[in-house]
Amino acid sequence: MSDAAAHDWSILDVDPTQQKVTDTDAYVRPLMQWHFGPETGSPFWLDRRSRLDFDPLTDVKSVEDLALFPNLIDEFRDVSAEELVPRGLGDAKIAAIFESGGTTGRPKRFLMFEEWFSRYLAWAGRKAASGLGGSGINLLATTPSGPHMIGEVTVRQSHALGGKRFTIDVDPRWVKKLIERGRADELGAYVDHLVDQTADILATQDIGMIQTIPVLLTKIAERPELVDLVRSKVKRIAWGGAHMDPDTRAILREEVFPGIPIVGGYGSTTILSVAVERKDEQPSGLATFDPFSPYVFFRVVDPGTGRPVAYGERGQIVMNHITKYALIPNNLERDTAVRTPAEDGHIGDAVADVAPVQTFDGSAVTEGVY
Amino acid sequence: MNTPHTTAEFTHVDAITGAGEYRARASRPLTLPDGTEIGAVSEVPRLYVTRAFARLAQAPVLPYERRLELLAKAADLFENAVLEGRTVDDYLDLVSRCAGVPRAIAHASVAAIARTLRALPDTLAQEIPRGAVTDIDDPRLRDGAAYWARRGKTLAVHASGNTPGVHSLWPSALALGYAVAVRPSSREPFTPQRLVRAFREAGLAEQVALLPTGHDVADALIEQADRALVYGGQAVVDKYAANPAVLTQGPGRSKTLVTDDVDWREHLDTIAASVAGLGGAACTCTTAVLVEGDAATADAFAAALAERLAAYAAEHPRVELPEVTARQLADHVRQIAAATTGHGPAELVEVVRPGTAVLRPVVRVAPDARAPVLGVELPFPCVWIAPFDRAEGIGPLAGSLVVTAITEDTEFAQRLLDEPSISNVYIGAHTTTWMKPGVPHDGYLSEHLMTTKGVIR
Repeated sequence: MSDAAAHDWSILDVDPTQQKVTDTDAYVRPLMQWHFGPETGSPFWLDRRSRLDFDPLTDVKSVEDLALFPNLIDEFRDVSAEELVPRGLGDAKIAAIFESGGTTGRPKRFLMFEEWFSRYLAWAGRKAASGLGGSGINLLATTPSGPHMIGEVTVRQSHALGGKRFTIDVDPRWVKKLIERGRADELGAYVDHLVDQTADILATQDIGMIQTIPVLLTKIAERPELVDLVRSKVKRIAWGGAHMDPDTRAILREEVFPGIPIVGGYGSTTILSVAVERKDEQPSGLATFDPFSPYVFFRVVDPGTGRPVAYGERGQIVMNHITKYALIPNNLERDTAVRTPAEDGHIGDAVADVAPVQTFDGSAVTEGVY
Repeated sequence: MNTPHTTAEFTHVDAITGAGEYRARASRPLTLPDGTEIGAVSEVPRLYVTRAFARLAQAPVLPYERRLELLAKAADLFENAVLEGRTVDDYLDLVSRCAGVPRAIAHASVAAIARTLRALPDTLAQEIPRGAVTDIDDPRLRDGAAYWARRGKTLAVHASGNTPGVHSLWPSALALGYAVAVRPSSREPFTPQRLVRAFREAGLAEQVALLPTGHDVADALIEQADRALVYGGQAVVDKYAANPAVLTQGPGRSKTLVTDDVDWREHLDTIAASVAGLGGAACTCTTAVLVEGDAATADAFAAALAERLAAYAAEHPRVELPEVTARQLADHVRQIAAATTGHGPAELVEVVRPGTAVLRPVVRVAPDARAPVLGVELPFPCVWIAPFDRAEGIGPLAGSLVVTAITEDTEFAQRLLDEPSISNVYIGAHTTTWMKPGVPHDGYLSEHLMTTKGVIR
């Protein structure tokens, strides 16, 4: 079992846009060998193997068996980055170290490998094809930058567009602090500060696409002069990072920016990717997100029992990232969503109308702007 | 409840603006006191509210006379027309079933609202400062005069749902030329819905909006509006105390005083009606009675009042509450009444239908007129009695919406008039619930909405 050469790892590198992984169990078994084999696994998982009350090498034979894993997500707050490198990756290039926003406590850290980053972006680009690739239009990114994944995603988005990238920096952790301290006045001033900077770029630059967060999109929609600018220049609006309620979404699409595609992404550092909003509108009008299957999959469960809720019911989202680059299984996220059938051949659930839970693990959840 | 509703129709309360109606995907259930779900109230998001206010701020201001005509027309529609597919009888059924307000009280409130609207020409003529004009063509401006000017264009109203009567106040803002958005309460959203519909049909569609929202968006109305009128408890009053654009309608803590120069026995009916009229739920209902004399006098008065209230309750329909709410209120009374002595029934909750209850009147005697319990106002007939001595001064009567002083002592009554924290003073045998169009309730609303500008042309 310990001889890495004895394994055929090729299934772990399948590009699902070219070739569907139909036998997901046949994917999971080598994945376990990879992460828990001494020559391929990361120090993080090798160290924890003996502390698990099951043996992932023999007990995890299917996607369902991944539910055996305890939720170790809190350990990603303290672990050193070096410990997260699977040995089997050799000296594969690390694109960035990304951090969570710290919504449920101190931030968690994850490694983004260059190979995985480009594979997932290629999938997302095809999944939500804008028709703008290579057109040379400029992107305005009013999103967090810094340790957050979206900042680097927008760098690569603008490369794909072939234009320039304009940015406004958003600090979501400071926003959460302001909310927790009850400083609604300062929060309002900060958001206005962000909108003012956005306004300046919109008024002076040739912006063809906007990547932003719901609160800023709503604030732009409240300023008639900005609405006019967006209508006259912008060909596509992408949003993510926080909840957008279905009514706001409908008003933006139908009344404020009719004719401009408004496309959501539901990302998380704990899945090292963004689930993309499905093109086909559900009869309910809710935004539905599909993750990059089989590498990333969701389950929507009753948090009390851990069992799946019925399709169409709201439950809490369990996230899984299962690639050769990282193993982050069975993580009960802060968010709730309406459970929706996954696309054909995909594992797990699609999620609709994502919204934050009010408390998480005993602490109040501050969603903030991201 | 009169006739049970035969249709199983699901009732929607949706947003209404000049742009039309909007049924939000987000909603909260409309329930009867027993928890039965009979409909849904839309909860519009912040963006809808900001867009609605942007429209309201653009609404044309019609000439003063025209506004008054349209409001009178709306009064007729409100009182008689089929609106939202409902006759006024259907509407009253819905109000009494949903909010638990006795139908007779709801009916009286509807008549009072219509009467208030029709009386606006006279009322506003009294409210306007004597030297002020309302029209730029008024010849008095040639010598210079005061012009009665709005302090803003838009008014937000956070309504409460205890009786339809709370909606008699804000329509005068339309007469003053404001555009108004009302956030209805989920307990009784039907009266503002019907009023907004009546104003629309009368010709004020651009000047009025119904904006049901969740609590998280409620503040957006106040933030967007130039002026606001907000109903709520002490916490709401405290929250907006520092905001001069917000006029709060908080607890009334209305009181009745009987001095020893009159015989309280002759006024028991008036006082019982003050306590239990309007279901005991209005801010003008008497919360405390101060009886001049010693503890024995207060006790004798309380015993007599308890008897009179029991008779009053037997003759009048009472406010129905969810049984669980009624039991919580009863527990609350037991806790806060520890240092008082009681009259009347020991068991406060009377279940009238499964899941639905009424509260029997509470009469309790506090040891003195400064006991904090005298300020505890509850939404059913609940009255605190205390012995009082005129030599103590008017301190125990401060901080009241209404003080009825049943007294021959004009000098004492004058001191009540001079006390700024008492809004209304009724001298003699009047109920604290007495009201009349043109007589201010908590000041004139126009004091909050209007100012005077010096003009010469």
